[in-house]
Amino acid sequence: MVHFVKRDKNDIFSKPVLGFLFKNSRFLLLLRVTVAILFFYALYFGFAHPTRENIFTTAVFWGVFWALFMVVTLPTFGRIFCSICPHGFLGKYITRFGLKKTMPKYLQNRYIGIGILVVGWWGVYYTFDGFFKSPLNTAAMFSGLTILAFIVYYFYKDMSYCKFICPIGTLTRAYDKLSFTKLETYSQSCKECRTFECASACQYNLKPFTFAKKNQTDDCTLCMDCASSCEAVAFKFTKPAQQLSSKLKILNAEVWTYILIFASIPVSMGFAHGLNRSKIADEFIWNKTAEFFDLGHYAGGFAFLYAIIFSVFFATFGIYLASKILKKDYDSTFTNLGVALVPLFIFASLGHTLETFFTKEYKMIIEGFAQGLGFLVHVENIAQRGDGWLVYFELFKWIGIVWAFMLLYKRMQLIEATKLRKVFGYFFASSVILFYIALNIYTGYVFSKYGAKERGEHGSSRDVSHSPVSESALQDSKRVKKNSTYEAKKPIIDEEQIYFSLTNTSLKMHSHGGRPEAKGTIPTKKVWLLADTKNSPHDENLTTYAFDTMHTLIDLKSQNNAYTFEIPKNGYYTLFAVSQNSKDGNNFYKVAKLEYLHGNHGSKDIYTEDIKKQLSQNKTKIDLIRIKSKDEDSFFYTNQMGNTLTFQAFLDNKPLQNATVNIELQSAWIKKLQTDENGTVAFTIVRDYFPSWNEFDKRYKQNMLLTLKYSDDTTNYILTYPATYYPNNNDYESYGYALMLMTLTLVVAGIVVYRYRKNRLKPFKEESYA
Amino acid sequence: MLKKIHTILNNMNLQKVRFTVQLLSFVLFVYGGYFAIDFGSKLPIFACPYNKEAVGACYLIPLQHQLSMPAQVLLGGAGIGVIVGFLGFLFWFIFLNKAWCGYVCPFGTFQDWLTMLRKKMRVRFSIYTQNQFEDLSKIKYLFLIIVLFIPLLMGIGVLGSEWSASFCQMCPARVVSPMFSGDFSQWIIDFSSITAMILTALGMIFAGLFLLGSFVKKRFFCFFCPMSALHFIFSNLSMVQLKKDGSKCTKCGDCYAVCDMQIKDIADDVTSINILRDDCIMCLKCIAACPEEDALHFDIFKFRAFSSTKEGFEKRMNIEKPKQAEVKFSQKGHSDD
Repeated sequence: MVHFVKRDKNDIFSKPVLGFLFKNSRFLLLLRVTVAILFFYALYFGFAHPTRENIFTTAVFWGVFWALFMVVTLPTFGRIFCSICPHGFLGKYITRFGLKKTMPKYLQNRYIGIGILVVGWWGVYYTFDGFFKSPLNTAAMFSGLTILAFIVYYFYKDMSYCKFICPIGTLTRAYDKLSFTKLETYSQSCKECRTFECASACQYNLKPFTFAKKNQTDDCTLCMDCASSCEAVAFKFTKPAQQLSSKLKILNAEVWTYILIFASIPVSMGFAHGLNRSKIADEFIWNKTAEFFDLGHYAGGFAFLYAIIFSVFFATFGIYLASKILKKDYDSTFTNLGVALVPLFIFASLGHTLETFFTKEYKMIIEGFAQGLGFLVHVENIAQRGDGWLVYFELFKWIGIVWAFMLLYKRMQLIEATKLRKVFGYFFASSVILFYIALNIYTGYVFSKYGAKERGEHGSSRDVSHSPVSESALQDSKRVKKNSTYEAKKPIIDEEQIYFSLTNTSLKMHSHGGRPEAKGTIPTKKVWLLADTKNSPHDENLTTYAFDTMHTLIDLKSQNNAYTFEIPKNGYYTLFAVSQNSKDGNNFYKVAKLEYLHGNHGSKDIYTEDIKKQLSQNKTKIDLIRIKSKDEDSFFYTNQMGNTLTFQAFLDNKPLQNATVNIELQSAWIKKLQTDENGTVAFTIVRDYFPSWNEFDKRYKQNMLLTLKYSDDTTNYILTYPATYYPNNNDYESYGYALMLMTLTLVVAGIVVYRYRKNRLKPFKEESYA
Repeated sequence: MLKKIHTILNNMNLQKVRFTVQLLSFVLFVYGGYFAIDFGSKLPIFACPYNKEAVGACYLIPLQHQLSMPAQVLLGGAGIGVIVGFLGFLFWFIFLNKAWCGYVCPFGTFQDWLTMLRKKMRVRFSIYTQNQFEDLSKIKYLFLIIVLFIPLLMGIGVLGSEWSASFCQMCPARVVSPMFSGDFSQWIIDFSSITAMILTALGMIFAGLFLLGSFVKKRFFCFFCPMSALHFIFSNLSMVQLKKDGSKCTKCGDCYAVCDMQIKDIADDVTSINILRDDCIMCLKCIAACPEEDALHFDIFKFRAFSSTKEGFEKRMNIEKPKQAEVKFSQKGHSDD
């Protein structure tokens, strides 16, 4: 027995908080007593309130402990689920007073526990839908197990129940391999030990001092009895699944647990809850078999059966072929390579469990525990199904798959064979992983091709794919609100004019006009032609023209008042709509012009002076051309408040003098200008955005409309030119502060460096007061 | 014939070669825009596109933009775009490994030139103590985490769009690089939101520290560069490697003395064959300074493109002509201590 050891850096017992949590025997006792009280109270509660009203029992058993706590702790800290389990905790006391017989050989069989779990629980779960959702059934099942456990503890020694009969005993032992902790002893201290307190303290009849050498912890449930008996026991952090990178003895039963649990949970769920929700569910073999036996009601059971058959086939046959290729015997290959399957179930389950915790079980747990304690609490779930960030939980199963591949690679390295044999052996041994990948991809394919069954909201995680639409719709509606409240104040329309808009205000819906499309197709832009009545200008005489960046005419597809054109290149696209009519003897010649600058980030186009070249055309009689300034040097140019815009008006391609240009900003600022002898007109966009500085939005986009009006003897010409503008950089960017900060940094850093060097220059002198 | 090439390569004056390569690539990457050259946006160097004349973009920019897509979009197909972009980055990276830092990166070159200026001004340089070195060299991973995780948090809606390209807003290259083409428009603090204000203020502070730091400390910023961290993660995939034969090493410490990045392992570690460390910029000065035959070598696949040789060492150090030796020696940075 050792009273003091110098603990390693990675020893959890030497850590301040974790050391207390895992080692302090009083704390552990208190924790176990609490859990046991909770357990029995939940059982009582289940019998006392057998209906669905009782959410406490469900919250304790199916909310906290099974699934959530177990799945989260197993691949992290290890079997701490077992260390707080009330069966094991009370079982130790029962064994002490019990008969301490050796368990008969036929009961010393781990397949009993596995069988109870796979058939008795998962088989029932899939076959009789909703059986365990009833609190009474839950309580009855756990009471039965408790009685069974206590009887076995009473008769047999060495906690045999945990090892052989407990349905999750072998499961926790098997999946513990993945954890990043390890219980072992400081072998230096153990060398001189002749008393073996750790072994005699262990009620499981294990020998903790051999764990380090054996590279595994057998049936250790981390009860820490050994740690309180001797200081040489260590609980260390390791790399995740470190045990598996070197040789260790793995039981056949453990590998069978991996295969059967993998079949019962991820694969069966994929069959019974995934594929069964698609439109072509009836086509699948398990449903057809159920139909054949006329047991359609129990189709879930058949899905489970087929999942087991498929998984077992791929696992065993794949490993069998691998063993033949590697020229090893089947049994050793089965355990050596089969252990690589360990992450498959646990990660798929982890992702699923965490997702349901945030969307469903958090609420159930909080409200359930409140109910158990006798008061009423109402909480909202942390996340809603379809929230963006939940998709990251989908990634978990892929992490599991990748890790399984990596583990298989590591296990393969431990086998002696030629490289070529290893490559092929690897391929066959991984067939069950490949099967799982195929299942996932196939499920995705089925849902994208055939869609989900239209039945309630019982959607699988595939529902997520619909949400971006609804989300953007939500954003749109928000934006519409902004716009519409604005328009209620001041519509930006004048009598009798038509204008192009990038947004379809007539529908009261914001759209970006042209969604991002699949790669390879040419992007398009959609605009709307609007009139003062906000309806489409139903004008027989309407003609439209569109010019691309090279000033050549292109197609403009119209549908009602929406116009679509292709924008393959970066640059200016120009659209015209001309409408001629006469009313009360007056001729009206109305033009709606739109100059659209397309800038695509991925493009390799380079902005040259060419791009700013003016478009002169003879399709419309009247034109208003924006003279592009020298500052415009990118495809992402935007107008800003304070910028001066210059326009030139043309009639029949001659500069138009004395025409009126009406400028109207969204904020109702209006200015009327006259064109000069060159037909030009210039104005500066005023600043009309004054939010408090913390509400400043530098992407605050506002519209303006320029209207060119000119009347000669015969005709009234009206041309509209819409544009958008943003706040000026200078409204929120400060050079002054930047320079000040830079100078300050330089000065402070300079002084620090100078002082530091000065100190270094002085030779080191020891202060002495002698 | 091959032997001859070997001798020529091993005897080369590395300083001159490196200066020329750096000068050319600086001109190419900083002013290439004037010649309408474009290398795409996946470059493994700080070729900052905030400088309008840059011929490509630092990969961290598209990476941040891509990762900030809404999570569903990212995991639903757009993720392929991220992977393709990453492969683009790897494509460039495998050719030069970390030599991108030491030979091509214009931001690194600029720091080397500041060091030359300091030498001319006869100001001595600073070094970190070994403890400071170990603590500070972790910062680059912190920056890498910022580069990777802030966009992901934006994608799930935790952070707003003002966090867009958040590392760039902090990055001194954004402030400094456009200066080369006479553009000082990045010398600003953006008051449009509190986040933007803090980030750009940090950017200015870092730029100030950069200017002063790289004047007194060689390759000051490279210690903190997230690109360097990203390089190191994939450095084994590259076709060029820096290798060491520990059995030939006498631990004389010449390599450590010339190392701009103060990597102690280059002299101390006699067990590792792959001597590339996360701070290394593959400037190959260590090889040039090594007097032992083949103790350090720069490999392109299995071909030893540049090895340390006694002959080359003597030639570079002008051992035969003791009068000039001192001058050359001081350029190597020894007398600076």
